[in-house]
Amino acid sequence: MMTLYVHRQSWLHRQPAGLKLLVLMVTSVALYALASLWTAGAVLIAVILAYRSLGPAGWSYLWVVKPLLPMFILIFVVQSWSQSVSAAILMLLRMLTLIWLANLVTLTTRMDAMMDAVMPLLSPLRRVGVAPHRIAFTVALFVRFVPVLMAVLNSLLEAWKSRGGGRAVWRLAIPMLINAIRMSDHVVQALAARGGVRSPETPVSMVQHQ
Amino acid sequence: MTLTIELNQVTLKRDDQTVLSDLNLTLSERRIGLIGNNGSGKSSLVRLFNGLLQPSQGHLQVRGHNPAEGPEAMADQVGFIFQNPDHQLIFPTVIEELMFGLRNQGLSKSDARERAEHCLREHHRLDWADRPVHSLSEGQKQWVCIMAVLVMNPAVLILDEPFSALDLPTRQFLTDWLLGLPQQLIMISHDLDVLAAFDRVLWLEQGQVRGDGSPETVIADYRAACNRAFSL
Repeated sequence: MMTLYVHRQSWLHRQPAGLKLLVLMVTSVALYALASLWTAGAVLIAVILAYRSLGPAGWSYLWVVKPLLPMFILIFVVQSWSQSVSAAILMLLRMLTLIWLANLVTLTTRMDAMMDAVMPLLSPLRRVGVAPHRIAFTVALFVRFVPVLMAVLNSLLEAWKSRGGGRAVWRLAIPMLINAIRMSDHVVQALAARGGVRSPETPVSMVQHQ
Repeated sequence: MTLTIELNQVTLKRDDQTVLSDLNLTLSERRIGLIGNNGSGKSSLVRLFNGLLQPSQGHLQVRGHNPAEGPEAMADQVGFIFQNPDHQLIFPTVIEELMFGLRNQGLSKSDARERAEHCLREHHRLDWADRPVHSLSEGQKQWVCIMAVLVMNPAVLILDEPFSALDLPTRQFLTDWLLGLPQQLIMISHDLDVLAAFDRVLWLEQGQVRGDGSPETVIADYRAACNRAFSL
């Protein structure tokens, strides 16, 4: 599971979210125009050094790519075979740079700052009847509940194993779903009890009365 | 405006089952405990106070407000703490969690942040501001839940078995802290010792009040009834 946010403060935490997202965007585009292996390598090293600057444990966050390694190997092999080894290396450098850079932004940006930066981009959605602050809220809720649902899954797995459940772990999908739905019921109540999801301009609630 | 909670012939039915029947109560004490077996109607009763449930018959008033206005409108009056902190912590970090209710009350972002930080500072927990909530212990999470409600400055604080997942020292710490708050406190608890310092205890059974009075007498009666019921 990737850690979505590091709470220790660093110089990167203090940069404005908009600037970080802009750098990420510019780098993504520029990387594709880049043909030199040396330059691509230099950019990657710069990103890795940025992780180091987060503190002694900074490098450990680079492990976020671990689950992707088999895919990287596959892409590398196919690229080397169909194009050339240097093209494959370039591809790999680009992918690693982008993933690590994007992850770095998430690690060092608080959710509300991120949403403030993205909100103006979402405002056209207002025309089709979607309030941007609801999307911002949904994203925050998502980030919050990833670890919660992981914990639920874990306890279900423990209950399954401790009663000798076999390898057909997929059968936990239904109880997991039921748990998630029941939990969402509780969250709705908790939300309503604190005033619902109101927009700053129009104090209309999202939660229906029971 | 009356500074009490008043129930007038309140009946609550859910799916054709009577959950609460014909309750007449005036709740004006500072700290009120609510006890009773599972399914006796405790949780439903407190959910009437902030409009999460609406009575099928009868009237109730909470500090001069009618909870029929709905939970969102009642949020300024009534703070509600649920059993499981993971169901009510809505935001990834502590400061966002505290700011949420304040923003709902119409505060600007910077004002909300200031008030939230002030609240954390008061409790000597300003260093929690940027912590991810999932990194906190269960007791710390429940504490954040209570602070997130308190920062909205409600007149009444309702707690639905808030300590069932907490260890003894944490329970003790939070109880002492809660008892020192200026808010009216209404707490459901299966931990009867916690309620000893309360002003009044209500014992619900099958949707009706079976005991009502000082903690010593009501809790003693409840214990006696529990012992009788299980000595077959």
